[in-house]
Amino acid sequence: MHHAHIDKFAYQDSPVHRLDARVKFIAAVIFTAVVISLPRTSFAILFCYAIGPFVILVLGRIPLKFVFKHILLVSPFVLILALSCPLYDKTPVKIAFGPSVFQTTVGWERCCTICGKFVVTMLALIALVSTTRFSNLLAGLGKLGVPKLLIIQLGFLYRYIFVLIDTAQHILRARTGRTFRNLGVKQEMKIASAMLGSLFIRSIDTAERINIAMHGRGFNGNWRTISRLKISNNDYIFGVLFSVFVISLYFFAVPVLN
Amino acid sequence: MAKAIEIKRFSYKYPDGTIALSDINLSIEEKQKVVLIGPNGAGKSTLMLAMAGFAKGEGEIIVNGLKVEKKNLKKIRTVIGCCFENPDDQLFMPTLFDDVAFGPLNMGFNTEQVKIRVAQALRTVGMEAMAEKAPHHLSAGQKRAAAIATVLSMSPDIIALDEPDGSLDPRNREKLVALLKNLPQTLIIATCNMNFAAAIGDRAVLVDKGRIIADGEAKEIMFDTKLMAEYGLEMPAMVNDTSEL
Repeated sequence: MHHAHIDKFAYQDSPVHRLDARVKFIAAVIFTAVVISLPRTSFAILFCYAIGPFVILVLGRIPLKFVFKHILLVSPFVLILALSCPLYDKTPVKIAFGPSVFQTTVGWERCCTICGKFVVTMLALIALVSTTRFSNLLAGLGKLGVPKLLIIQLGFLYRYIFVLIDTAQHILRARTGRTFRNLGVKQEMKIASAMLGSLFIRSIDTAERINIAMHGRGFNGNWRTISRLKISNNDYIFGVLFSVFVISLYFFAVPVLN
Repeated sequence: MAKAIEIKRFSYKYPDGTIALSDINLSIEEKQKVVLIGPNGAGKSTLMLAMAGFAKGEGEIIVNGLKVEKKNLKKIRTVIGCCFENPDDQLFMPTLFDDVAFGPLNMGFNTEQVKIRVAQALRTVGMEAMAEKAPHHLSAGQKRAAAIATVLSMSPDIIALDEPDGSLDPRNREKLVALLKNLPQTLIIATCNMNFAAAIGDRAVLVDKGRIIADGEAKEIMFDTKLMAEYGLEMPAMVNDTSEL
């Protein structure tokens, strides 16, 4: 079965794809922290910051349709938070955007900033996962000192989430194939809980079989892997360019634009 | 010839009390290619699990001279490489390379030795170009071959495969037959597919309701019309020509 893998473009080859996972991860974390820490009045500068991940996405040949589709997928969670702002803060405020001046409320201003920050940080996150193989990202996180147990859990989650989705889809299909009339909410809930139970039991069975397969190959509780990550000159160049971009925007553009 | 596996009066019950294996006596010689045949639920998979020490019952199992018991399990699992029915259970690492390297790393080989073993195992199954692929990006046939590579990289003396032909199309099944026939190790294969069994096995062991019903030369057992019919098994269409599997 085919799934909408978030890392489906991570197997391409480009200068961005070839960068070390650790460098890209650290850059994404710093970038996100800086964007989130921007004041709510700095909406215009968010556009400047958006250039960074946008360039990465273009250099990595990631289709923008794919990027915005994934932003839209996650957006409901943030939109609920953002759209609640105008409801509780109605203090009037004037916003200058270029030559135009708008009269609005602090709530709406905060709402726009939250949405803007969300889009820009999502661009950075998608740029990271679309240009980095998940296995390299996990190896990079391990090298950066993230606890091994968490890395193993993330690895298993990513490996088996698709198997679980497949199983769930098979169960749903079997149910649909035998449902010929509206059963009512109560009956539907009963069926849904039975399906969830079945999925849960299958997951436990799968986990037991994986455990046997691991022990069959000598696993004794120590997780051993070979890291194939290597920092190159291009990684240093990227690091310098990234630092110049983020720092110069923050320390020079923020006071000017505000 | 030396014995690869010797099972003496082995019996096993599931935790709910159901008898899975009853009074099994079986002796497998080195380099033999043995197929465990029988209907679904006959006990073939449990017998394979017992050989690798995953199902502890009554009686005795000896693998390459080592008795299957707790103190020997680590050594035994380097001697007998088990490949389970669903390759998704076998391929649990983020990349194929990591999966094939998992066994050798646990055996204590250094990085360079592991890389050589991974490359050799992947070359044997024809997947050397896919080392960096994630298992969920592989087709069913590729997953099956990759699962075998995870065992080959450990260079076991005995390879035990549970239903390796399951969900394979004829072309991939044909490739698998060619691969398994050329492996120098002792092979134990559990399968319900008689064509597949006949193409690989020198010896067949018919299992039903946890007991060994017949044991002998593969062709002799699988072409016994009465025996096959009695245990709900089909006769193989051909034995030597793998193109029509």
